[in-house]
Amino acid sequence: MMTQRMMPATDIQIAICGSAGDGTIAAGEILRNVMAGIGYKVISFDVYPAEIRGFGKCIARMRITTEQAYSLKQRSDVLISLDDSHAIPHVGEVRDCGAVIYESGSIRPVPEGGHISAHILPGQLPYGVPLRELSEKATGANKSRNIVALGYLAGLFGLPAQPFIEGIDGKFKKKAEVARSNEAAFQEGYAIGQATYKLDDVSFEPVARSAGNGARVAMINGNAAVVRGCLDAGIETFFGYPITPATSIMERLAAEMPKRGARLLQTEDEISAISATVGAGYAGARAATATSGPGLALMAEMLGLGVIAEVPCVVFVSQRGGPATGMPTKHEQSDLHMAVYGGHGDAPRIVIAPTNVEGCYRCAGKAFEMAEAYQVPVIVLLDLYLSNRYETVSFPARPPFEPDMTRYAEKGELGEGYKRFRVTEDFISPRAVPGTREGMHVATGLEHNEPGRPNDQPENHQAQSHKRHQKLKAALRHPDFTHYKRFGDEGKVDVGLIAWGSTFGECLEAMHKARTDGIRCAAMKVVMLSPFPAEAVAAFMDDCAAVLVPEVNYQGQFANLLQANVGRRVERLDRVPGTPMPVEEILQEIRRLTGRIEARRPVRVA
Amino acid sequence: MNDFARPIFLEDKLPEIRDSGRLDYRSKTLPTWCPGCGYFAIVDGVTTALKREGIANHEAVIVSGIGCSSRFPFFVNTYGFHTLHGRALPVATGVKTANEALTVVAVGGDGDGFAIGGGHLPHACKRNVNITYLLLDNGIYGLTKGQTSPTSAQGFRTPTSPYENPDRPLNPLLMVLAYGASWVGQAYAGRPAQLLDLIRQAIAHRGFSYLHILSPCVTFDKTNRTYGNLDLQVRDLPAGHDPSDLQVAMAEAMNQEAPALGVYFRQERPTLGQALDSLVDKASGSRKHLAR
Repeated sequence: MMTQRMMPATDIQIAICGSAGDGTIAAGEILRNVMAGIGYKVISFDVYPAEIRGFGKCIARMRITTEQAYSLKQRSDVLISLDDSHAIPHVGEVRDCGAVIYESGSIRPVPEGGHISAHILPGQLPYGVPLRELSEKATGANKSRNIVALGYLAGLFGLPAQPFIEGIDGKFKKKAEVARSNEAAFQEGYAIGQATYKLDDVSFEPVARSAGNGARVAMINGNAAVVRGCLDAGIETFFGYPITPATSIMERLAAEMPKRGARLLQTEDEISAISATVGAGYAGARAATATSGPGLALMAEMLGLGVIAEVPCVVFVSQRGGPATGMPTKHEQSDLHMAVYGGHGDAPRIVIAPTNVEGCYRCAGKAFEMAEAYQVPVIVLLDLYLSNRYETVSFPARPPFEPDMTRYAEKGELGEGYKRFRVTEDFISPRAVPGTREGMHVATGLEHNEPGRPNDQPENHQAQSHKRHQKLKAALRHPDFTHYKRFGDEGKVDVGLIAWGSTFGECLEAMHKARTDGIRCAAMKVVMLSPFPAEAVAAFMDDCAAVLVPEVNYQGQFANLLQANVGRRVERLDRVPGTPMPVEEILQEIRRLTGRIEARRPVRVA
Repeated sequence: MNDFARPIFLEDKLPEIRDSGRLDYRSKTLPTWCPGCGYFAIVDGVTTALKREGIANHEAVIVSGIGCSSRFPFFVNTYGFHTLHGRALPVATGVKTANEALTVVAVGGDGDGFAIGGGHLPHACKRNVNITYLLLDNGIYGLTKGQTSPTSAQGFRTPTSPYENPDRPLNPLLMVLAYGASWVGQAYAGRPAQLLDLIRQAIAHRGFSYLHILSPCVTFDKTNRTYGNLDLQVRDLPAGHDPSDLQVAMAEAMNQEAPALGVYFRQERPTLGQALDSLVDKASGSRKHLAR
């Protein structure tokens, strides 16, 4: 049965493009918060240069919908130019009958190819606004052009002014004067926008605020969701070292953890960060660190110690373009091999990867549970797109995480004969943390026997290696966790998509488009990457005439992992544009695959 | 009179050893060190110090790196974490930060602490994390069979410097004084009574205490840092040495031709734990009791 997806009543994508310093990202932030506050669902992703100053291009893009979207659209409905030289190449992304809002005053230096109005395509609707003049009129300076543009947008599309005024107040709450002058700038733009005769077909349908069931709704990005997950799971220590794009996790935790009596320390490097995290985990705390690929590379050896010494801890890794310093502000999913296999020796660990912002929250909290339950480091694999993109997320009223899942050694097990690494039926050994009477033992990076003393005998190494691998199988059934999930058509399908991380959003979008074209299509997200849910993935593949794995790395790292675990070949779509996978490319590949399948079908002659 | 003329029998020593109470802190694992190694005296010093300071076995954690000296935790009946080469200090920082009620002692050698782990030491010192670091310096890599270490003398011949060590040795005491350690001392494994006293002071100090312990490698160094040479070289810090004066401490540290034993420097200042607690107060939160 084909289930028809309801078309959202509102589905508008707005792009604001400017130069670093124009307030592009700030305007985007206010807009997305206001829209989420009004009750729309928003997904938004900003692109900015690696340099703090200079004249790099900044783009704030957001898609505003009635129902939560999974990815940005290929085409924007509205483009606001705060800097023509940067915005001109993006005029093409505006759809037919979409709007382009730009500075109508004179511009110096004139960008290559002239004023942006010379580039607007037939069918696109131009709205020239004297942004600078209005800004100067309202504030005496041209710095508030971004806010004038916001006002114009709100006026043009008939949005209420009050939420914007509140949003501006919130943004500049520390500087009352700045807030006041920006309010004036907004009003100038708003009045002109209201007075403008609207020709485009972009329209915001009214939206009902979702009924409150105690849930907390917030407009946040993946890193902020990770922070909420950590706090709701009762994180006790965090040791970290700044690195793009993970830094904001540490920054937010630094503000929040002391309020809860928890401790955060900036260490001298990533090796120290993971070492202290493993130390704190050994001492019984809920401990975490956060980094990106280069930091994970430095942490590899200590993660191995966490595995062999069976220490619970959590490592958040937000991937960026690599290798080496690579592309620090660009999106990529190329650290999967390292997360799953990185380091020397047989060092099995748990790796989970959320696919959206809400998933970041869930995975963050669940990671602490899993680390404790299976006594192992857990890597939560994020990516730049997921870390930085904003979505409207509703959080449960009560944190859905267990406060402590440690299996503690009981009185009878402690004392002189206490075996910290006892091979039990489910391979999980009862723990004693420092401070526990009669629980003294040594945790060591040397291969050890059940009591924890160094032992390199063949049967012992076999037994302890077996234990460390087998105990993780239970993680595949960890309670209240979505290890994988199937979407789209049920039963046999022409094409099945399998994806991980943020790319799954693009896959869902492509799947929905393909189904409207009449292609039978399904998509499976895999959140649990290690240990790998091979049976479920294989069962899904049985239903698919062709399986396509789109991912943002060159090697097809997830496809490699999948093939190694399932033992079957898949079609790959590997792209490394430094940006999210274009939905259009996935769709093209789906069409190609269905075309091939149809050609193979025997032709019945009447 | 020569004491060596009279043999010492274990039975004669046992009552004294029992009375010291240090056996309560010895594990059943026999040390893997060579006969004559100075580290035996240091294990005795640590176990006796824990007893005398009244620290319960389950409330002490010994964290070590990798090397001969880093096998230490296995021979002591407390909690222990035998970690990675060079990483004892950050792991110990994590343990202490997670549970301030624990007494945390980091143990490592000269290679572990000043070569591979050298980057962590300044930060442990400046943060004043409330742990004790025992640096067991034998001037050689013993566990890998006698290669040059960061504290090996210039001209020293080892399998990795078969002609001679072209490097000058580091001056660890001068370094940790400059890094801002709040307690700095030096001991010698050949003077066990003083060693015990210094270990006790180091553990009792509130803040980061660094005790440098000179100890010969009897197997791989027959010429340089031997008991015979060290016995002649070491001296006590001058009577009246003022451990609150950093400049005097540094001046003494610069003369390691004749290494002085004793407390070089001592300072009371807020520990990392106290500094983190003050953040909790600033954020107006309530302190969590991390110990479970």
